[in-house]
Amino acid sequence: MLGKLTWQAIPFDQPIPLVAGGAVFLVLVAVIIWIIVKGHLPYLWNEWITSVDHKRIGVMYMLLSLLMLLRGFIDGLMMRSQQALAFRAPGYLPPEHYDQIFSAHGTIMIFFGAMPMMIGLMNFVVPLQLGVRDVAFPTLNSTSFWLTATGALLVNLSLVVGEFARTGWLPYPPLSEAQYTPGVGVDYYIWALQISGVGTLLTGVNFVTTILKIRAPGMSYMRMPVFCWTALASNLLIVAAFPVLTATLAMLALDRYLGFHFFTDTAGGNQMMFVNLIWAWGHPEVYILVLPAFGVFSEVIPTFSGKPLFGYRSMVAATLFICLVSFMVWLHHFFTMGAGGDVNAVFGIATSIIAVGTGVKIYNWIFTMYGGRIRFDAPMLWSIGFIITFVIGGMTGVMLAVPPADFELHNSLFLVAHFHNVIIGGVVFGGFAGLTYWFPKAFGFRLHEGWGKAAFWFTLAGFYATFMPLYVAGLLGMTRRLQEYDVAAWRPWVLAAGVGVLITLAGAVCQVTQLVVSIRRRDELRDETGDPWNGRSLEWSTASPPPAFNYAVLPNVHGEEPYWEIKRRTIEAQHLAPEPDYKPIELPRNSPTGFITAFFATITGFALIWQIWWMVGLGLVAAYAVFVIFAWRDKEEYEVPAEEVAAIDRARRSAREQWLAAHAQVGEQV
Amino acid sequence: MSDAHQHRDPQYGDAGPGYMEGAGQSIRESIQTYVLGLVLAALLTAAAFYIEGTKLIWGPGIPVALIVLAVAQIGVHLVFFLHITSAPDNTNNILALAFGVLIVALIFGGSVWIMAHLTDNLMPMRAMMPMQR
Amino acid sequence: MSVSQALPGPHRRDMDPYLIRDGHGGHGGRDYPTGRGEGGPAPRNVVVAYGFWIFILSDIIMFSAFFAAHAVLATATAGGPSGRELFDPTHVALETTCLLLSSFTCGLSAVATRARDLLWTEVALLVTGLLGAMFLVLECQEFASFVARGASPERSAFLSSFFAVVGCHGLHVTAGLLWLGTMMAQVCVKGFRPNVLRRLLCFNLFWHALDIIWVALFTIVYLLGLGR
Repeated sequence: MLGKLTWQAIPFDQPIPLVAGGAVFLVLVAVIIWIIVKGHLPYLWNEWITSVDHKRIGVMYMLLSLLMLLRGFIDGLMMRSQQALAFRAPGYLPPEHYDQIFSAHGTIMIFFGAMPMMIGLMNFVVPLQLGVRDVAFPTLNSTSFWLTATGALLVNLSLVVGEFARTGWLPYPPLSEAQYTPGVGVDYYIWALQISGVGTLLTGVNFVTTILKIRAPGMSYMRMPVFCWTALASNLLIVAAFPVLTATLAMLALDRYLGFHFFTDTAGGNQMMFVNLIWAWGHPEVYILVLPAFGVFSEVIPTFSGKPLFGYRSMVAATLFICLVSFMVWLHHFFTMGAGGDVNAVFGIATSIIAVGTGVKIYNWIFTMYGGRIRFDAPMLWSIGFIITFVIGGMTGVMLAVPPADFELHNSLFLVAHFHNVIIGGVVFGGFAGLTYWFPKAFGFRLHEGWGKAAFWFTLAGFYATFMPLYVAGLLGMTRRLQEYDVAAWRPWVLAAGVGVLITLAGAVCQVTQLVVSIRRRDELRDETGDPWNGRSLEWSTASPPPAFNYAVLPNVHGEEPYWEIKRRTIEAQHLAPEPDYKPIELPRNSPTGFITAFFATITGFALIWQIWWMVGLGLVAAYAVFVIFAWRDKEEYEVPAEEVAAIDRARRSAREQWLAAHAQVGEQV
Repeated sequence: MSDAHQHRDPQYGDAGPGYMEGAGQSIRESIQTYVLGLVLAALLTAAAFYIEGTKLIWGPGIPVALIVLAVAQIGVHLVFFLHITSAPDNTNNILALAFGVLIVALIFGGSVWIMAHLTDNLMPMRAMMPMQR
Repeated sequence: MSVSQALPGPHRRDMDPYLIRDGHGGHGGRDYPTGRGEGGPAPRNVVVAYGFWIFILSDIIMFSAFFAAHAVLATATAGGPSGRELFDPTHVALETTCLLLSSFTCGLSAVATRARDLLWTEVALLVTGLLGAMFLVLECQEFASFVARGASPERSAFLSSFFAVVGCHGLHVTAGLLWLGTMMAQVCVKGFRPNVLRRLLCFNLFWHALDIIWVALFTIVYLLGLGR
């Protein structure tokens, strides 16, 4: 009746997951009860859950990502503490448990921490920067988010119902085959990623179409902000790479469920092909993550240097170069698998070449800062921290790109330190820079600067304190994923890393504190005009937060940095341009389709994991029904009347006029 | 938007894929396009099956011939059924297609190349087993 | 400040190669955008068609991963039957004929839609569906006969990859038929509304793409497989 699901799935005999899961469950129930009792449910349903507005969806992605970053960080804390304790001692985590933790750590951090962070930023910012009202397919956008949330839910559910994979974040066969992992762990992994993978792919389609086909009048390709270029490159990679992940995990699922022989060690299966295909996805994936972060820095650094970005064309060229070459280097993840000198050499050279693209970008950012008047607000601190940290990580990457060196360092802690170096220094720093930079635009008040700086310094110090010792341990021969070790030479470095992670913890605490304090003191931190940083791109011309329709009248774009030009002329002329001719605006209606589809996807995924076949059928039929019902709706849009548009826009104009008057008196130059 | 219902507006200079070009093309001409496409595709298919089954082409050359015929037939589908053209209003569609083709080539070609080398470097015993019939 | 009339005072408009003539946002006339997007957001039909085109390309990339797996595993017969022993060229030719004809009738339905002829649109779609169903029946027969002869997917890696790549295509055809049925109902009930027209166009793109994938399939899997 319930497939493989029994009461034994709940870990009554394992205190850590039981307590953790129980605590989370109680908190969730408490939050839901509070929401219902306080009457917030209609607001949540109408304004957020069924919203198809890219701004709302972006905020929800960011919220999901921050929660998952915390969960993944806790896994990381457990790993570091286990290793710190486990020198010739068992530590406190048994191997079966430790294996699940490092697998969950990687899976959650990449798929549900970093990806939603970048996608959330792109969701919020790209349509605003393009000067348009929303993405190409708003309801699809909502569906993408909720499917991602489904994946996150399933992975977290594995903590309390069943178990997670013990294979590492990429489930290499034969360990991941049914013969060697008969439990549901790998199945949780497969279905969580298949479902959220569909969501991500649809995001890719959505944003490629938006960036190529939906821009404000006058915005040719070479007038797009660089963040939109990197978003385009990242989403092109999503469209190109995620289908390979879907196919490969489907093959593994066919092996596990139907006894196929893609990757088994009998009947002709080829395990190396899994490694090949999964990394054909996996390498573009890391560029999917880092390119939007590069874009964030290309926005933040010019703003806080008071100068236009240096070398716009070369930035665009470097972005497209990275996009293309990222699909030609994937073998460097398995140099040691035995493809031979010729093949290894080709991919090693390609890997070294791709660094050139990033090098161009780094120089452009440095030259942007040179000669500027730099303001060291939190977003700029994250950017400067990124430049230094990412260059170090990139250099260790080029070291690893040399096959003979990689034979020594593959799967050591050197590798682990390298990829954390670039992911934290690149993606996480970029995410926090973007969060701090665009937070006022999203919510109408800035984040508390003091706590933001504290978060930065602790996170920066914590990163170096944690991972620099791991580079050394890796060079001394320590392999990754060790639950226990007995080599005395490694011990001081592992202990140092264990202390370092506590410094990072302080940084995380500061981040949370920053949010809480900022919300409490939001009236002091209010962003009155919509342009708190003296920005240069179009999103800063809107109010904070922008109205549902973004722009009362779509802007005409006449050059790069359109908003900067407009500001300059307005300040020269000392008055705003005349009021435009307000017209009614049609916007897409909210829709529960995304949420309900994801609901049935969760049911189907859970049923597939536990092999409850009748539930699978039910979920699929329901998903099809949702599709048909959505396809049948007659009214797809609603109209905002011209008077309402005018009222909202006039409020924005008067805030700007007040700013202008105040600064005219002070005689401030911009 | 009043102009939201265009498949291809000369002002926008950009056609969606699949749009039948030439607003002036009559129904008869449209049908003729499809018929021509069908005939060409059928001929190419028949040729492929024929080549496979007979000794018309030298053995080792058969795979090449089949691939060429397949590419040609895909081209026929693209042009006659999907109305992809080389006109400037189709540039975006062609670029997207070229990107897709590049990725397919990298994944398919790259994987075959890599996997073949991986098998080459295996110990002789293991390398022989998959080839046994 | 309003960004739509952003240039008070003298400005050499004729110096700007990207000049927008009437200064309105998003609605007015333009000079000569050629797919570079300076004219503002593209019309909804273009956006939807292009978006679906990108999706189809992603689907083709997914197939290429299955094709790659099949190419690698094509000789891994583990002592079991190979393509030469299993594949029947006549059967494959029949399947190909069904699918190719269905692609043709799908195109005819597009022509009928252009003429806004409800009857012929529905007839052509119905024939397309029947041919597609015929294709699926033939394919299921083939699968069943293989399994009956012991050539099931569990037998060898070659057979696993064969069933996966051909089966994936068959699943797409099945999904397409479900979609086709839904479209036939929608056209009947709602008529040729703009959104229904967009969906019919997307369906056309999908169905033709399936035939394109079949061309690659019968060439690489069947015809080349017969030669091994």
